Amino acid sequence: MKKFLWVFALLMLAAVLSACNSSSDKEEQKDESVKEETPAEDTTDATEDEKTGGEVNVYTARHYDVDTVLYEDFTEKTGIKVNVIEAKAPELIERLKREGQNSPADLFITVDGGILNTAKEEGLLQSIESEEIDKAVPAELRDTDNEWIGLSTRARVIVYSKDRVKPEELSTYEDLATDKWKDKLLVRSSDSLYNQSLMASLIAIDGEDKAKEWAQGIVNNLAREPEGGDRDQARAIVAGVGDVAIMNSYYVGHMSVSDEAEDVKVFDQIGVFFPNQETTGTHINISGAGLIKHSKNKENAVKLIEYLTTVEAQEQFTAENFEFPVNKEAKLPDVMAEWGTFKPQEVDFADYGKYNPKAVELMNEVGWK
Amino acid sequence: MKTSIWLREIRRRANSWFIITMLGALVIIMPVAYVVLSFFQPTGENWEHIKEFLLADYVKGSVILVGSVGFLSTTIGLVLAWIVAAYEFPLRKQFKWLLIIPLAIPPYIAAYTYSTMTSYTGVIQSLFRNYFDYQFTPGTIEIMSLRGAVFVLTLFLYPYVYMIALNYFEKQSASYIESAKTLGLNGFQMFFRLGLPIARPAIIAGSMLVIFEVLSDYGVASFFGVRTISTAIFQTWFGMYDINAAMRLAAWLLVIILGIFMLERFLRKGRKYDTNVTQSRPLARKKLRGWTAWLAFLSCSIVFFSAFLIPFVQLIYWSLKTYEKVWRADFITLITNSLVAALIGALIISFFAILAARTINLYPSASSNLLARIMTSGYAVPGAVVAIGVLALFITLDEKLAFIYPKLLGVESGSLVLSMSIAMLITGYVIRFMAQGFNSVESGYTKVPPSYREASFLLGRSMTYTFWKVEFPLLRGSILIGFALAFLEIMKELPLTLLLRPFNFDTLATRTYQYAIDERIYEAAPSSLLLICLSILSVIIILRFEEK
Amino acid sequence: MFVDIQNLSFQYSKKQQPVIDRFSFTIKKGEIVGIVGASGSGKSTLLRLLAGLEDPTAGSIELDGRLIVGDNTYIEAEKRGVGMVFQNYALFPHLTVSENICFGLHKMKRPEKKKRLNEMLELVQLQEFAKRYPHELSGGQQQRVALARALAPSPSILLMDEPFSNLDTNLKSLIRMEVRDILQKANSTCLFVSHDQADVDAICDRIIYIDCATYIGSDKESIPV
Repeated sequence: MKKFLWVFALLMLAAVLSACNSSSDKEEQKDESVKEETPAEDTTDATEDEKTGGEVNVYTARHYDVDTVLYEDFTEKTGIKVNVIEAKAPELIERLKREGQNSPADLFITVDGGILNTAKEEGLLQSIESEEIDKAVPAELRDTDNEWIGLSTRARVIVYSKDRVKPEELSTYEDLATDKWKDKLLVRSSDSLYNQSLMASLIAIDGEDKAKEWAQGIVNNLAREPEGGDRDQARAIVAGVGDVAIMNSYYVGHMSVSDEAEDVKVFDQIGVFFPNQETTGTHINISGAGLIKHSKNKENAVKLIEYLTTVEAQEQFTAENFEFPVNKEAKLPDVMAEWGTFKPQEVDFADYGKYNPKAVELMNEVGWK
Repeated sequence: MKTSIWLREIRRRANSWFIITMLGALVIIMPVAYVVLSFFQPTGENWEHIKEFLLADYVKGSVILVGSVGFLSTTIGLVLAWIVAAYEFPLRKQFKWLLIIPLAIPPYIAAYTYSTMTSYTGVIQSLFRNYFDYQFTPGTIEIMSLRGAVFVLTLFLYPYVYMIALNYFEKQSASYIESAKTLGLNGFQMFFRLGLPIARPAIIAGSMLVIFEVLSDYGVASFFGVRTISTAIFQTWFGMYDINAAMRLAAWLLVIILGIFMLERFLRKGRKYDTNVTQSRPLARKKLRGWTAWLAFLSCSIVFFSAFLIPFVQLIYWSLKTYEKVWRADFITLITNSLVAALIGALIISFFAILAARTINLYPSASSNLLARIMTSGYAVPGAVVAIGVLALFITLDEKLAFIYPKLLGVESGSLVLSMSIAMLITGYVIRFMAQGFNSVESGYTKVPPSYREASFLLGRSMTYTFWKVEFPLLRGSILIGFALAFLEIMKELPLTLLLRPFNFDTLATRTYQYAIDERIYEAAPSSLLLICLSILSVIIILRFEEK
Repeated sequence: MFVDIQNLSFQYSKKQQPVIDRFSFTIKKGEIVGIVGASGSGKSTLLRLLAGLEDPTAGSIELDGRLIVGDNTYIEAEKRGVGMVFQNYALFPHLTVSENICFGLHKMKRPEKKKRLNEMLELVQLQEFAKRYPHELSGGQQQRVALARALAPSPSILLMDEPFSNLDTNLKSLIRMEVRDILQKANSTCLFVSHDQADVDAICDRIIYIDCATYIGSDKESIPV
C-alpha cells in the first residue's frame, strides 16, 4: 500500500508543479521549447523581454499563417510578446465569460461581425481609444463604440462557369432564387457561418418573410444537396454539377495560387461576380479585434491593433490571405485588383449577430441542409 | 443488520485504495454531472424550435450513421479477425499487425484526404480526365455526404472490433474449434456457428466503442454535412448562440448512452464467460491453399490499402509539395507537446482505470457498475461539451483557491492558475478517454478470477502486494493496450485541445486543424503525416513492452 | 475448542433468503471434518466466512482461542492464518510451482524458505516439477501444488473446497489416499467441503450434513449444536 500511495503522491505533485510552472511564467514554457533548437537566440529574447517587460494575451478564432507572421513582426518591432490561444469563436466567448474578471485575455480576435457584436453584448469588451486606429480604419468598419476594430473584410460573391454563363445574366442574390437558376445553383450547407451571416443581412434589409422566401428559392434551385466547403462549390461548377455558386472571395484568391495544379485550372474556368451592385450592395463580412474589458495589458493590446491596421500589416493580410484591407491605403494583390472596386452592403455588422439565430431558424425551416 | 456491523463494514472497506478511487471518480464525474444539470435549466424558445424542426432529423441521422457504421465495422473487424486467427495464408503474420494501424489515422484527416482525392480536382478524376480523357458523371465516385461519412468512419473504426475479437479468437477458442473440426464443420459453418457465438462479448465490447465514437464524432459528420445529434449540439451553440440548449442536447445524448449501457447489460445478463486460463492454449491454424489463400490475402490487402496505405501515400505526396511552405521551427515544439500531453494523459488514465476496474472487480454491485459507466461516459460526448464541463470545474476551483495563490506562488490575486495550466487540458483528456483505459483493464480482469486474489490473501499477503505480484503481471497486456489506445486518442484529439489549452500550446492536431478548417488540405498534410507516423511509432514502442 | 462458530448468519442480499442461518458448530484440534450437502446448501459459503472472504451478517467465529469475527471485530483474511485449497486451485499462472509454494512464506528468511519449499515438494512428491508452470502440469499435479501452497505457511486450519471435483473418477480415489496421507503427515486441522459422500468417507474423521446451512446431524460422532 505504501508504495502505491507514493506513486500517487508523486503523480499529484507532478501535476501541481506543471500547473504552477505554466501559469506563473508562461514565457518559460515557450522558451524551453525554443532552447532545443537555438540556444543562442533564447538568451537575447529573454533580455529583450525584460527590457520592455511586456506581453499581450490574445484569444483568436482566426487560423491563418499570416496572423502568426504579423504577431512575430510585432514582437520584433516592440519587444512585446504575443501569447495566443486559438479556438472556435463561440468557444472562446464561453471561456471568456466563465473566466470573468480574472481572465488573462487582452484581445479577442475573430471573423464575423455578428460574433464581435455578441462579445460586445455579453459585456466582454471595452472601448478602444487611439487616434492612429481611428485614422487608419474608416468608421463603418469599426464598432459604434469602438469596442472592436475591423482588421479585414471578405465578400460573399457569385462564382460562375465562364463557359456556360455570361456575367450579364447575373445580377443579385435575389435573382439566384428565381426559377432561372433551377437545378443550377451550388452552395454549401447552412451550418456555415458565412451563409448564416448572409441570411442575417438579408433579414436586416428585406425583413424575415422575404428572406425566408429567398432561402426557399435557393433550396429549390440547388443542383445537389449542399456538401463540402466553399472551394468544393467552385470545383463542382467546373465538374459540371451546376453553373453558379455562392462563395467567399478569398477562397477564389487562394485557388489561384494553389499547390495543386488542378485547382489552378478550376480557377481559370470560373468568373467572379459581385452581386447587388445596382441595389443593396454585395454582402461582406468583417474580421476584427475587440479589447477585453478586464484587460491587464491594455496599452500593449491597443498597440497590437494599431500595428495590425498599419498599411504595411494590411498589405500582408491581403497579399497572403486575399482578404480586403480595412486600411484603404493598402495595395491589393493583382488577382483582387482585377475584380475592381465594388459597393458593399450597408448593413450594421451588429445585425449579423442580432439576426443570426433567426437566420439559422429560417434556414432550418425551409430545409437548407 | 446491527449498526456495529455496519461500522465494521465501513472500517474495512475505507482503505486507501478505495479512497483514491472515489476521489478520482469524483473529479471525473463532476464535469459530466455539470452537463446533466442542464436538464434543470429553463428551456428557451430555441429548444422549442429544435424540437419542432431539427430533433427528428438529427436523431434519424445519428441512428442511420451509428447503425450502418456499427454494422459494417463490426462485420469487417470480425471477419478479418477470424481469417487472421483461424487460417494460415501468405503474409498473415504481417497483416495481423498492419490491420490495426488505421487507428493511427484520425478520421477527420481521413475524411478530407479521401474527399479531396475523389473530388473533381483530386488525383483519381484528374488522372482519368487528363490521361484517358474520361469524365466521371458527377457524384459517382466522390466520397461525400452520408456515404462518405459511413465509408470513412467504418474504415477507421473497424480496428476496435478487430483487435478485441482477434484476442478472443486467439486465446479462447482453440478447444472449441478443434472439437468443431472433429464434428466435421466446414469453414463457413465454423464461423457462423462457433466464431460468432464465442466472440459475442468481444463483438459487444468492440461495437460499443465504435458506436460511442460515432455518436460523439463531430469532425467527420460536419465535414460531410451529415446531421447528427453531435452536429446539432454545435449548430445550437454556434448558430443560435444558445449554449444552454446545446448542453441540454448533450445531456440527452448522455441519456441515450446510458440507455445503450443498460441494453448491453441486459444482453449480457446470465451469460458468464469465465475461462480457465491455466488450460487455454494457442489455436492451431488451418493452412489455406489455392484460391482460398488468395481470397484471405486479398480481403486483408483491400482493407489495409483503403484504410491506411492509400490515404497515407496521398498525404506523403501532398507533404512533399507543401512542407517547405508550412515548415516552421516550432514543429519540434508541436511534436513534444503532442507526445508529452499524450504520455501524461495516458499514464493518469491507466492509473485510474486500474483503480476503477479493480474496485468493480472487488466489490461487484449495480452501483459500482453504474459508477464505472458514468466515469467512462466522457467518451461518448463530443469533446467540446466535455471541455465546457472541465472549464467550469477549473474556473470554480481557481476561484475557491484564489486566497492561497498569492502566498503560495507569488502571483497577483485573482490570477487564474489551474485553468491557465496544462493540468486543465490533461484532466479533459482523462475524462474524455477514461473508457479506453478502463474497458481494456476491465476485460483484462476476466483473466484474473477472484480466487487468485483470495488465495493470495489467505497466504497472508496484503492487498497491495497481491496487486503487484498477482494481478498486475496478469493484467499487464491489457493495461498496455489500454494505455496505447488512450495515447493514440489523445494524439488525435482536437476539439477539447482547442478549448482547454493554455497559451501558446499547439499540437500536431491543432496545426492540422488550422489548415484543414480553411480548406487548405495540402498545407495540412505535413502535420497530419507527422501525427500519424509518431502515433504508429509510439504504439509500436508501447506494445514492445507487452511481448517482453 | 479449536474452532468455535456461534450463531453464524449470512445472506448475499437483503432480498434473498439467508444462505446460512444461526449456525453453530465446533472443531477440535487435529480433526479432519467433512461437510456434505447439496450445491447451494451454503457449505462453500461457510468456508469463505471462516477464511474471511465473506462477512457474516451476524454471529461470531473463534479460531484457536482468538476472536476473528464478532460484532465489533473483523480480522482480515490475510491475518487469520487460514489455508485454503480452491475448487479451481487458483494457482498463479505466471509463477512456477516453487514460486507458487513460496508465495505465502514471506515471514521466512531465504535459507528457511528454501528448506520449507523442499519439505513441501517432498510431501506432495513434486520435486522434479519445481520449475514448471501450472499449465504444464496434469490436473492431479495441480491439485497437489495447491495443497502444498496452502500448507506451506503452516496454517492453523486448512480449508478445502471441493478439491476433487475437477478430477477424473479413477484419478480421484488415488488422490484421496494421497491427500489423506499428506494431511496426516502435516498433522493439520482440516475442514473439507464436498457434495460427494465418497470423498468425505475416505478422508474425514467426522462428517456433518447441512442443508441450507441448518445443521442436520453427523454420523460418526454427535456434537452439541
